[in-house]
Amino acid sequence: MTTEGHVDVRADVRQYVQENFLYMRPDVTLDDQDDLLDLGIIDSLGFVELVEEVQVRYGITVQDVDITEENFGSVDSIVRYVEGRRAAG
Amino acid sequence: MCGVAGIVRADPRRPVEEDRLLRMARALRHRGPDGFGLARDDGAGFVSARLAIFDLPGGWQPIEATPGGGLIVYNGEVYNHPELRGELSREGVGFSTTTDTEVVLRMLERDGLSALDRFNGQFAFGWWQPRERRLVLVRDRFGVRPLYWAQLADGTLAFGSEVCSLFASGLVDPAPDLLGIDEVFTLWGTRPPRTVFRGVQQLPPGGLLVWQNGHIVEQRSWWTSAPWTAPPQEHDLDSLLRDSVRLRLRADVPVGAYLSGGLDSSLISALAQETTGSRLRTFSVAFTNELYDERAYQEEVAAALGTSHHVVEAGSQEIADAFPDVVLHAETPMVRTAPVPLYLLAREVREQGITVVATGEGADELFWGYDLFKEVALRRLHAQDPTRAEELLNRLYPYLGAGAARRGPAWRQFILQTGAGDDPLSSHLTRVEATATVKAFYSDDVAAELAAADPLERLRSDLPAGFGELSALERASWLEVTTLLEPYLLATQGDRMAMAHGVEGRYPFLDHRVFAASVGLPPEQKLDGIENDKVALRRLADEVLPPSIARRPKQPYRAPEVEPFFAQGAPEWIEQLVSPEALERVGLWDPARVSGLLRRCRAGKATGIREGMAFVGILSTQLWHESFFGEDRRSFVPEDLGPRVSMDRMGHPATGATV
Repeated sequence: MTTEGHVDVRADVRQYVQENFLYMRPDVTLDDQDDLLDLGIIDSLGFVELVEEVQVRYGITVQDVDITEENFGSVDSIVRYVEGRRAAG
Repeated sequence: MCGVAGIVRADPRRPVEEDRLLRMARALRHRGPDGFGLARDDGAGFVSARLAIFDLPGGWQPIEATPGGGLIVYNGEVYNHPELRGELSREGVGFSTTTDTEVVLRMLERDGLSALDRFNGQFAFGWWQPRERRLVLVRDRFGVRPLYWAQLADGTLAFGSEVCSLFASGLVDPAPDLLGIDEVFTLWGTRPPRTVFRGVQQLPPGGLLVWQNGHIVEQRSWWTSAPWTAPPQEHDLDSLLRDSVRLRLRADVPVGAYLSGGLDSSLISALAQETTGSRLRTFSVAFTNELYDERAYQEEVAAALGTSHHVVEAGSQEIADAFPDVVLHAETPMVRTAPVPLYLLAREVREQGITVVATGEGADELFWGYDLFKEVALRRLHAQDPTRAEELLNRLYPYLGAGAARRGPAWRQFILQTGAGDDPLSSHLTRVEATATVKAFYSDDVAAELAAADPLERLRSDLPAGFGELSALERASWLEVTTLLEPYLLATQGDRMAMAHGVEGRYPFLDHRVFAASVGLPPEQKLDGIENDKVALRRLADEVLPPSIARRPKQPYRAPEVEPFFAQGAPEWIEQLVSPEALERVGLWDPARVSGLLRRCRAGKATGIREGMAFVGILSTQLWHESFFGEDRRSFVPEDLGPRVSMDRMGHPATGATV
């Protein structure tokens, strides 16, 4: 799986959320801007798993201050965060 | 050690039919495979299925104090019975057996319920006083031995060592208790008096109930694990623990020991060997999956102590094959497969001719051995030295290395912040949150029904006055003792697995004097800093065990959860039991959500602890439901062997005095 580039990160994050969390909520059609916590797609431990996965999958170091809903609360925000970190080198 | 049951009716003219008693006895035969006895009185009947430990030829139950007088059916052991017998004998009390059962009855007849304070042991019994038409049900301090009861609308009360005996009576219909099920998926077990069966209650540890003429006239604790009630001890911990082991080796049959390879069971085995001076027989579970396997440590201890050691290996197939019987005997859904290897171990122990084993439960709760206690200490440290706290946190939960729960910054934040508030349950919230994954699979109807019933709120409102005065670590310890030790470790994983094969577990750490001594220790004798746990026990272990065992960090006992049920050659019933049709039939789970989980299980992707608990929770609930409520549910037949004791006391006034 390639994780280079904007589209691939988005598709990749979507697929990860779909595979690992969304199966528990088959009633939900998820849009990229939807709030994963508010919709109950992930709980607090799911949030932990998500952050750790992003860190490992995209080879970035997530700082404590970055662990917020603003950065990890939706597919859109995760993509933004990952790309921002990559751009920052 | 036995299974006991009985029925008492409000109206003494309504006899308790023998057939009901015979069905109750048969339902409990696995607890007491050596034979059974029964007694019928006016509007009352009692049975005992016996596992003979003391007075093998003569110790049959029920036992009566005088012809037609006070009577007891009794499950368990009071280890200090020879001393109590001596005291009674000096007063001229005569005995017809050498059992602890008779000592307990005669102590009760002499002292009433104040006698309970004198008993050192694990027991659950029914004491019938016919003149007063009073039945007293009692359970031991920590709830090692189980005791269930149900009262009918007409005042009739039925009781038994296992819930199945109540259903076998034909007086109690099985029905699930959703709140009880939800407690299992919160705390791993139900908190007494609740059970997973509606209308069925269990006596709390250290509890008693008095029924008289159709009414429950008293329900109270006769002992409590609240630390502020523990009296100071005359003797130090080491001598009390040695004495506890000495008492727990008393039996008229050989006593063996379970050996996990960790500190607690190794220490008990060493002290047992030291006490007897003869070669102890030790038994261990080993796993084919090396992630869970501790056999190297077990063999090291066995070799160092020179025990006669026996290993049972649990592989995927053994775990999957035994799981239905495990759930049937546990009588509850569960979130772990860890009881299964202990079921297999007890079977082997029995086949090896051993019926009593000493084991190490209780040490982690009393001496703060679990990582949960270290989490509590780390949160305190984190406020002062976050860098050091995070560094130390990385050493906890080594088994979380694989799977979804990676230990990065988010995990650290979760552990350090989840329990950091002033919630009295803060020490347990990380475990509760992990377990609650199971609840994500509830059907919409079940979720809606449970929405307003928070098991943690019930627990908070039940916390005793004085809880708030405890330190954070003392609170965590008390919560472990009351919410995990009895409901799960001693019941689901303990009594039920051993007694499924007529094997009695004995727990030296749960001697009430050892408990009181543990409470009286300075905190640093339990957890010193963050990493030095069970300090007082390790100091004793240094004297009797190799350093590699005495100083070995704790390895949590776990068993494979998902893999056994999806490995090649897994039994066909599994897929049938979690099929959409079966899930719809039971109605507790949402088939679409479960099918997503099953896809991940089949693909080998459900490797995390949370999904493991979810799958085991769902599978065990399906099995439990089918076993007790399904079309092919368990049926109950009368005992077809002849009773070893049969008392017909109906219409005969008691000839002896009762208290």
